[in-house]
Amino acid sequence: MSRIVLGRTVGLLVCSHCHATVRAIRSSHQLCPRCGARVHDRRPHSLAATAALVLSAAALYIPANLLPVMHMHTFFSEEDDTIMSGVLSLIEEGSWPLALLVFVASIVVPLLKIIAMGWLLISVARRSPGSALHKSRLFRLVEFIGRWSMLDVFAISLLVSLVQIRSLATIQVGLGALAFGAVVVLTMLAAQSFDERLLWDTHSDG
Amino acid sequence: MDRARVRCVRCRAELYRTNSASIDTAIALAVTAAVLLLFSNAYPLVALQLNGSVRATTLVGAAIGLYNQGYAPVAALVLLTTLLVPMFQISGLLYVLIPLRTGRRAPGQNQLFRALTHLRPWAMSEVFMLGALVALVKLSALAEVIPGVSLYSYGALMFTLSTLTSVTPTEQFWRWVDGGGQ
Repeated sequence: MSRIVLGRTVGLLVCSHCHATVRAIRSSHQLCPRCGARVHDRRPHSLAATAALVLSAAALYIPANLLPVMHMHTFFSEEDDTIMSGVLSLIEEGSWPLALLVFVASIVVPLLKIIAMGWLLISVARRSPGSALHKSRLFRLVEFIGRWSMLDVFAISLLVSLVQIRSLATIQVGLGALAFGAVVVLTMLAAQSFDERLLWDTHSDG
Repeated sequence: MDRARVRCVRCRAELYRTNSASIDTAIALAVTAAVLLLFSNAYPLVALQLNGSVRATTLVGAAIGLYNQGYAPVAALVLLTTLLVPMFQISGLLYVLIPLRTGRRAPGQNQLFRALTHLRPWAMSEVFMLGALVALVKLSALAEVIPGVSLYSYGALMFTLSTLTSVTPTEQFWRWVDGGGQ
């Protein structure tokens, strides 16, 4: 690949909002002349903010999976549902494609996101070599799939408001749903606060 | 120009894509989305029939159900991602695009458009539709499920919003601003 001249080495910055090219000035409060957004060479405190959000998400991932997200009370029975038991009951009903969907969106995706973001943060902090291209692609994948984890929260909200038929069947929300919603929000905020360009800073050439 | 895209030579991220949609297309889509959103809120989403008693819920009703059980943060999250953010996106786009069509700038245009860009990942109508599907399958084992008008209009809203998002990428918006709406 031919040699690439980086804007930051010749005094040019790019606005991360409208992608306008801006001549860098020596100031920490540079504004984009086109859209008015802050222009940063690298977003300040990106690493620390992202790490804090990822760690919080990792801690909440445990109660999100262990605590019940729903409590179902019918005339015949009472049962607590965690995310995993919800997946299992979908399999029992024979709708395994949906069971797979919920399993991937609610259990695999958040875990994958936490592990991937953690790995990216460590590799930036340690300035470890390795393909920045692969890391960039992994980050964009994580950024793209994160919101799909909200699926279960929406399903729970509908179940809770529909199944309120006194003496026959009622569904109560469980604390797990709160923890789970927090995990999704925190991982999305983590992806938004991560400055992808940090992945390329250990990279010497193309 | 033919359809083409420009990618970064280093990280292969897409930087630019030719876009044949005009500002009028974007406005038309936003108006369509506004009407669909109105319908989605005026009618029930789904009803449940069990032993002769029927219970229906609307989109807002789903959030209220969570709120009534003491889960205000989760209720707020559902309300924001399914309703308030899409509503803000549609009205915000109309507010900046209609004046821009004739080359004028709406007051606060830049700040508003930056806010819209940041909020994009938080509009989750397509995720909500899949969540609704999961809930309906679970319920069908328990009782009879009757889909409502809102379920269909919200499904149409999902497609309209994703088209609207794809014809108004950030770079396209700033090209419209630079070109006086052209």
